[in-house]
Amino acid sequence: MNPMIRKEVRQRMRERRAWLLPTLYLLVLGAVVIVFYMTATARRGAFEVAVQGSVLGQGIFLAVVYAQLSLLLLVAPVFSAGALTIEKEQRTLAGLLTSLLTPADIWWGKLAAALLYQALLLASGLPVLALTLAFGGVGPREIAIALASTAVVMASVSAAGLYFSCFFRRSVHATSVTYAFIVALTVVPLVAYTMLTATVARNPSEPAWLLYSMAPNPFYALSVGLFGAAERVGPWLASLAFFGVLFVTAAALSVRNIARGGEHA
Amino acid sequence: MIDARDLVKRYGPLRALDGLTLTVEPGELVGLVGPNGAGKSTLIKILATLVQPDAGTAAIDGFDVVGAAGRVRALVGYMPDVPGLYQDMRVRELLEFFADAFRLRGPRRPAAVDGALTRAGLADRAETFVEALSLGLKQRLFIAKTLLHGPRLLLLDEPATGLDPLARIELRRLLRALNGEGITMLISSHILADLEDICSRVTFIAGGRLAGESAAPAASAAPGSLTCEIEVLGDATRAGTLLRERAGVRVVERTGDRIAVEVTGGAEDAAALLRDLVAAGCAVVRFDPRGGLEERYRRAFGGTPR
Repeated sequence: MNPMIRKEVRQRMRERRAWLLPTLYLLVLGAVVIVFYMTATARRGAFEVAVQGSVLGQGIFLAVVYAQLSLLLLVAPVFSAGALTIEKEQRTLAGLLTSLLTPADIWWGKLAAALLYQALLLASGLPVLALTLAFGGVGPREIAIALASTAVVMASVSAAGLYFSCFFRRSVHATSVTYAFIVALTVVPLVAYTMLTATVARNPSEPAWLLYSMAPNPFYALSVGLFGAAERVGPWLASLAFFGVLFVTAAALSVRNIARGGEHA
Repeated sequence: MIDARDLVKRYGPLRALDGLTLTVEPGELVGLVGPNGAGKSTLIKILATLVQPDAGTAAIDGFDVVGAAGRVRALVGYMPDVPGLYQDMRVRELLEFFADAFRLRGPRRPAAVDGALTRAGLADRAETFVEALSLGLKQRLFIAKTLLHGPRLLLLDEPATGLDPLARIELRRLLRALNGEGITMLISSHILADLEDICSRVTFIAGGRLAGESAAPAASAAPGSLTCEIEVLGDATRAGTLLRERAGVRVVERTGDRIAVEVTGGAEDAAALLRDLVAAGCAVVRFDPRGGLEERYRRAFGGTPR
């Protein structure tokens, strides 16, 4: 086993936030379920229309997976963007770089530790997600797609955060830039999609390629594959491919940067 | 052991190393001195494979620091000027992590960790968190960590920084012992007295170049010449006159009540000189026959701090 992973996980689990974050995470997810359920069932009373169980299940499911991704996008930079900068700040990077660990070992150790913690959060949220099975409309397929999409997005965003951590000397800079990057990923495709839709509005039907402009949006990557028709498989795969390319690029740049990082050690 | 030739390293317009050449033989304990920004840390970082030179070559035991960095790392123990340790790890955990990082497998791993704990005198604190250790103990732990993989060359950048006098004495003793075991060392330090005490040779470096060498400063008390720094209480004129008129003594420098002299004939003549000064009524408050390296440093780099 890569000694970096063992060290990182051990250090991470000793922090107070190691148990505090999953607690908060579950509280927020639980609150989302309760608020959504209450709102949906209250509406039934007003309009005297029974809400189908499956519709309620799908609604709660979407609310939970969106909330889950939002929370993870909020948490990911804290772990990934600070991973290398903390070594620079504590002057421990030289010890790693003069050992027999390769830059790839160091990178993988840092990333794996960040991802393992996010996997812990994802796993702890599974019972909340499974609640929606009771309402119908959601099956194991949807849960698997949501988890896979979330995992791909989080791996890529964490890899990007780790790259910023390699690039900057201070955690505060790396973390800020990672958050800015996440906001850009979310907002820019949305703006582009809106503008493109307005441009081609005269067309009787929306061109299929328009959907691809949303591919870099993490929430689109999560939801486009769910409950979708066959034509949505393409944009979903395109979105996953985008995050795959982001991951590989960030990984390559990070390893190169770590190899040259001795001057800041 | 170290063969560095024409090393050049630039940081933007600044040339940290400007064609530096240095050779260190196996078993030597070489001191590296020079003013701030002279290039000492850059040289050590290049030899430790942390920084790549822009020009020139450096090899450790025949292995190029750029082309065979992995082989070099297995041979070298590096201690930076500010040694960083993971404060939230226990002492044993930290050593075990670095044992793994140096790929020590099987029975070598626990043997190396236990050996390092014993050598550092931290066996009874193996389960203590690093943050709870004093600075001196952290320094010992860092040295233990540096020696974990059995390096044949130690590169130490300002190892005595921040240590109290007792810890410095202990550090000198440890370094001498390690050198006695055959470990070659290159030590950068501003504490000249420490270098003078333990080094077999001191190299002066300035402006990224070699500015001179001083062989065996500790042995400079042997026949030849001995530089002594004398400080007298009150009027130093009488002492100055006595020193000027005395055969075998040359006044090198005089600043107020401090006089630096070069005594030919070694330690015995220096002792006789001190005896005569006191007998002549000079109130000698300091007679430092080991100011040799300081004097050479002053000559090499000037008396004013940079």
